[in-house]
Amino acid sequence: MHYFDELIITEIRKNNTVALRELYKTHYPMVLNMILTNSGTEPEARDVYQDAIIAFYERVQQPDFVLTCKVKTYIYAVCRRLWLKRLYEKKRYVGKIEEGDPFLQIEEELLDIEETEQRLRAMHTSLEGLGEPCRSILEDFYLNNHSMEEIRDKFGYTNTDNAKNQKYKCLQRLKKMFFSGYNPLT
Amino acid sequence: MEFEQPFFDLTERYVRGTCSEQEKQHFEASMANDPEFRKKAEEHMTFLKTLSGYGRRRETRRVLDTLHEELLRDNTATLTAPRPRPTLIRKYWPMAAVAASVALISITGTLITTRSLEERQKVYYQELRRNVEQIQKSQHRIMANIASSAKEEADPYAGRYVGTGFLISTQGYLATSYHVVKDADSVYIENEQFGRLKAKIVHSDPAVDISILRIVDTTRIALRSLPYTISKTEADLGEDVFTLGYPRNDIVFGEGSVSASTGYLQNPKAYQISVPANPGNSGGPLLDHKGNLVGIISGMQTETAGATFAIKSGALLETLAGMPVDSLNRPVLLPRRNYIRNAGRIQQIKRWRELVFMVKVYKN
Repeated sequence: MHYFDELIITEIRKNNTVALRELYKTHYPMVLNMILTNSGTEPEARDVYQDAIIAFYERVQQPDFVLTCKVKTYIYAVCRRLWLKRLYEKKRYVGKIEEGDPFLQIEEELLDIEETEQRLRAMHTSLEGLGEPCRSILEDFYLNNHSMEEIRDKFGYTNTDNAKNQKYKCLQRLKKMFFSGYNPLT
Repeated sequence: MEFEQPFFDLTERYVRGTCSEQEKQHFEASMANDPEFRKKAEEHMTFLKTLSGYGRRRETRRVLDTLHEELLRDNTATLTAPRPRPTLIRKYWPMAAVAASVALISITGTLITTRSLEERQKVYYQELRRNVEQIQKSQHRIMANIASSAKEEADPYAGRYVGTGFLISTQGYLATSYHVVKDADSVYIENEQFGRLKAKIVHSDPAVDISILRIVDTTRIALRSLPYTISKTEADLGEDVFTLGYPRNDIVFGEGSVSASTGYLQNPKAYQISVPANPGNSGGPLLDHKGNLVGIISGMQTETAGATFAIKSGALLETLAGMPVDSLNRPVLLPRRNYIRNAGRIQQIKRWRELVFMVKVYKN
């Protein structure tokens, strides 16, 4: 495998931001070019590229991940597929998406990407629909890893148990919204 | 078992790895033994995982956004340089240009080769009037080739077009082909017997190609009666017919038989005849063996040898009957008796040639 690729992967596994930045900078012009020449705009290119980078990033974190081709090829293939899919949804592309690049074995990963994306989007809408202070409490506790004591102080609860109780209720509501596929936009 | 706050607390702590050893053992035992507990616990664990995954993803995206901002700051010029987006027109205009030029070439090519439908039909059907100028020119050329120093005297009386016409009544009415006299400025008729006379077009029927002329000065012709009749019945197939006409400056006799009872393109008002005809024969009388008029020579088919066409005499009678009365100052009195019925062909021709005129048409 290419030395640079290997280095990038090793560094990304160590959560090295510099490596991520290098990766991001190296391949963006290629993807931007591809999407601009295929009736896309710059914001769309950015979206697709970030999706692909995130997919790659998260995939690399998994211990069983083995890259079967160059990183550039991988990123390009994923971006191409994601972009074709968007075009298909916009009714601009009428061909079959499945064609091409079967040797890259990115099919599974693409399925993963889409599924995760959907789940996370549902989570996002649920959280947005939750309202304050529930959202902030849950975000502080689960996403920002604040302790119950910090939360108690921040939101002005008299004791930790009260805060815990409130957090529990909020979590139950969020869970209900998430599993019922709550989506206020549609 | 009630799945309440303590249960979720326990699950959470188990996931985070902050629970005590005892609690952990209790949790794992319940997972192994109680399917309902296990299901609930797994559901909650998945949910927590999604939630934390969402958090991580949000963080990652934030990082990427800052990276992107950085990237844009670093090389704004290279990334946002205006790229020409290929529009549909720009992309396909060479192909469109090729297609258009092909279409143009084929259209003009077709027009050049075929001209138009009408003109092509004219090529097949040639009207037998004589264009004098054209013939004179070719004659001049032939003469010049032969040798001659003798200067040609241009005939001041030569008309632009020449056809044939014949008397149909003693009052000076003549019948001829419409295409001979159409667009005429003035018409003169001429033959050996009566010389040169001025005539007027009194009626034209372009649909059947017949025109009626009248001699202006009728005192010049003194005829008691005409020796033939106009046949009201159609000539039979194979009947012997003959004609007199002016394809040149002398009267020319031609004979043949009726080949078909319809004319060009199944025209029911004409015959096809096997009489040799040339430009100048148009308007000449077609006569049967008794010397009666059966038709008027009108044209020939160019791609078929020996196919001449003659308008039926019935059509002439119809035209005469259809003439508006006020276009004549005297009614047309048609000949009623045939005096040459039993005469020989030579005698018939001798009587007829007095009645046949060269029709000279002048126009600018």
